[in-house]
Amino acid sequence: MSLIRADLGVEAVADQEPDANRPDKEFVGRTPWQLAWSRLRRDRVAMVSLGFIVLLALAAIFAPLLTALIGHGPNTEYSNTGLSLSGIPVAPGHNGFLLGTDDQGRDVLSRIIYGARVSLEVGVGATALALGVGMVVGLVAGYYGGWIDALLARFMDILLSFPILLFALAIIARFGPSLDLVLIVIAMFSWPYIGRLVRGQVISLREREFVEAARALGSSDLRIMFIEIAPNLIALAVIYATLLIPVNIVLEATLSFLGLGVLPPTASWGNMIAEAQTGDLFTVAWWFLVFPCLALVLTTLAFNLLGDGLRDALDPRHGRSNITPPTKAQKGLARLRRRATRTAERADA
Amino acid sequence: MTDTDRTSGTSDGDLLLDVDDVVKHFPVRAGSLLNRTSAQVRAVDGVSFSLKVGETLGLVGESGCGKSTLARLVTALHPVTSGHIRFKGQDVTTLSRRQMRPLRRSVQMVFQDPYGSLNPRRRVGSILADPYSVHESLSRSEVRRRVQELMARVGLHPEHYNRFPSEFSGGQRQRIGIARALALRPELIVCDEPVSALDVSIQAQIINLLEDLQAEFMLTYIFIAHDLSVVRHVSDRIAVMYLGKLVETGPVEEIYSRSRHPYTASLLSAVPVAAKAFLGARKERVILSGDVPSPVRPPSGCRFHPRCPKAQAKCAIEEPVLEQKPGDTPGHLTACHFPVMADEPLAAASRDEPPSAEQSTLVEGAQR
Repeated sequence: MSLIRADLGVEAVADQEPDANRPDKEFVGRTPWQLAWSRLRRDRVAMVSLGFIVLLALAAIFAPLLTALIGHGPNTEYSNTGLSLSGIPVAPGHNGFLLGTDDQGRDVLSRIIYGARVSLEVGVGATALALGVGMVVGLVAGYYGGWIDALLARFMDILLSFPILLFALAIIARFGPSLDLVLIVIAMFSWPYIGRLVRGQVISLREREFVEAARALGSSDLRIMFIEIAPNLIALAVIYATLLIPVNIVLEATLSFLGLGVLPPTASWGNMIAEAQTGDLFTVAWWFLVFPCLALVLTTLAFNLLGDGLRDALDPRHGRSNITPPTKAQKGLARLRRRATRTAERADA
Repeated sequence: MTDTDRTSGTSDGDLLLDVDDVVKHFPVRAGSLLNRTSAQVRAVDGVSFSLKVGETLGLVGESGCGKSTLARLVTALHPVTSGHIRFKGQDVTTLSRRQMRPLRRSVQMVFQDPYGSLNPRRRVGSILADPYSVHESLSRSEVRRRVQELMARVGLHPEHYNRFPSEFSGGQRQRIGIARALALRPELIVCDEPVSALDVSIQAQIINLLEDLQAEFMLTYIFIAHDLSVVRHVSDRIAVMYLGKLVETGPVEEIYSRSRHPYTASLLSAVPVAAKAFLGARKERVILSGDVPSPVRPPSGCRFHPRCPKAQAKCAIEEPVLEQKPGDTPGHLTACHFPVMADEPLAAASRDEPPSAEQSTLVEGAQR
């Protein structure tokens, strides 16, 4: 409601003000992004997810500061305070360890914060790389068509048909694990998702009249691709990038879990889970297995929910799931329910 | 200059555009990878006409007859399959992309759909700055000044510069489209049904704007429409297309009062009764039988013969030439073996048939 009123207000002002009065005063309408933001803001789930992601990102960025505040480094083994006399990890809340310690007496919270650094760096970095490559390849393939498209589209199909994990393992085993290599390998296998999506969109966009108009003006192909078509792809790219980030975070965790991603003692959620599982200490000290898992699950969930919210906000034509008209099945169910209550009432009478 | 000697082309300095036997075929891709290009859509199949400076040519015909394709050939958006298009004596069909750039300044286009022809993600100021950023190197403030001048000229508020297309109405958007076409001071503007997507009241405003601009900037128009009253209002000459060919062309009054081709006659008779008195069209309604044939396999001989009330055996065999018929004024050309006489009862041949669904769509097309 407030949105509608605000819009009307703006229109009214624009019409009342004679233009000659304020010749240098620019009228600034609400951009598609502002409209999308106002829609997103009303989506509580997406906003909570966004809040979680922002907090996580801040924690990752200020990790050294945060761990200094906590008083426990991520890799320091607190053999006196962090482990009981019999070598059992300290439970959450004891001796100043908020989330407890692990089997070597290290602070689980500090390690999770440092793990977030790795996860976000790889998740966001690999996705950004994939987005860049995917956008350019998709634009070129979709815009030019013909044999260029045939070549690029087939290449993307081939990459997508690779068993990612096996190939990633082979490549990393060959070159030795490192954070950069993990990032590049993940990007290498995830850009075709974006590329294929962008290509499809470009194929429909290039037939639009505004592209024809640009061509009639003598615009170059590059100009048409990047100034006319690309702005129409950003919404789509943002949505799918948001949904690709958690996939890539999980992929990094998987590689680290298998010992081919981030190597210990550097903390990563994947290798924390792997280390916790090696013994059976977690049966008595559940926290140092559960908390890294929880961090991974919550982060993945938050990105996915935010992605859904963004899809609703940026592409309102698709309609929000909660206001879509009832399906035939739902209508039928409602009818059956009504009939059942009616027979029940009759039986009571 | 009569149109029969138009191919000589050099005699008249006023000649702006000369379209000579232009053909455009689109391949239809069907079948497997190995068995490609099975058929051709003959969208434009041998069209010739010429245009003088300051003239308006009205191009009419049913949907799918090749009007829009012809427009895109003239603006060099599509390459021609064969034939020549000469702009001020220069053959533009053989130019490379780079050589085409000066031509782009001189030939512009106004599109049919004011919603599709403006990029929804760009601000109007940026859309209208495009012509300048592509063709000229001006300072930002100079571009901005020119864009705002342009907006004022077509009747938009210059301070709406920063708005998005979605914040404008259909008529305003069409004004933006016209401003964009006008930006580089072109000589020829091809208007591809510029008003058919607009309300009637807005149509009049846009047509008046186009006429004012024509007078102010000495513009030449090719005006495509299927609203015959609009075409009559704006045009100096009319060209009627059917299935990729011109069937009749001539001065506007000639066509409307003494149409010779049976197709033109039936098109004009489809105009609603109230407008007929104004147009001077024949009183009785000529009902055509059948649908427009497929441009993939056009009929033999005269393409109109399967639907023509006057068709005879010759029409199916021999293709008529677009030529001046005896008794017509110079410049009035008809492609018909048996042109219609002034008071000939055309409808007699098919009067007893009730109008079918296809014909009512034809009527609608002509009325819109």
